Amino acid sequence: MRALADVTGETLRSWRESKGWDVPRMARELRKAARDTGEDVAAHHGLVKMIPQWERGGRAPRERYRLLYLKVFEDMAGGMAAGADLVMRLAEIRSHAASLPAPDEIRTLEAAALAKPRKTMTPAEIRARAAEAIIHLREVAAKIAELSALLGDDAVGEAES
Amino acid sequence: MSTRDDEIRRVVAELDAHMAAVEASVAALKALLADDEAPGQEDPS
Repeated sequence: MRALADVTGETLRSWRESKGWDVPRMARELRKAARDTGEDVAAHHGLVKMIPQWERGGRAPRERYRLLYLKVFEDMAGGMAAGADLVMRLAEIRSHAASLPAPDEIRTLEAAALAKPRKTMTPAEIRARAAEAIIHLREVAAKIAELSALLGDDAVGEAES
Repeated sequence: MSTRDDEIRRVVAELDAHMAAVEASVAALKALLADDEAPGQEDPS
């Protein structure tokens, strides 16, 4: 629903055209969706006037019409919602990756842990742990670069120097 | 979902796994250092 609030008039037009519908057909589809749920909507000729206005962006459709669009174009709107989820997920990743320690910080932790004998971990294990963290950190940077390439922009941002 | 979306989700899943691995190793190192401080705080002698 939130995704649909962000839909532009241009998107509404592209959804309609992707179905090969003209404006009168779009009006009929909206009225049909309204009938299915017992809702009261504008008459056919009123919708035929409003749809081009919505598509040009001159007016935004009211909530009930947005909901009808959602019903008519459920498959496409569902894809948009999934896209919005992905954008949020990428923002989380960006934040999460930025919070990871830098390799220098891991080396500092390693040195501090090696500074005194341990019962629970041998020096070799400590070194292995630190090396493992740094290897995974490099993988994080590589995957973020891969993600940026997939997105074709710098939406994910830089995670590691 | 397109192939590109599937690919993005795959990379995201791998990223999650690598970030979790970094955090697990760092947590283990930090736990060692925390062990250094805890006995001193608890031992009154």
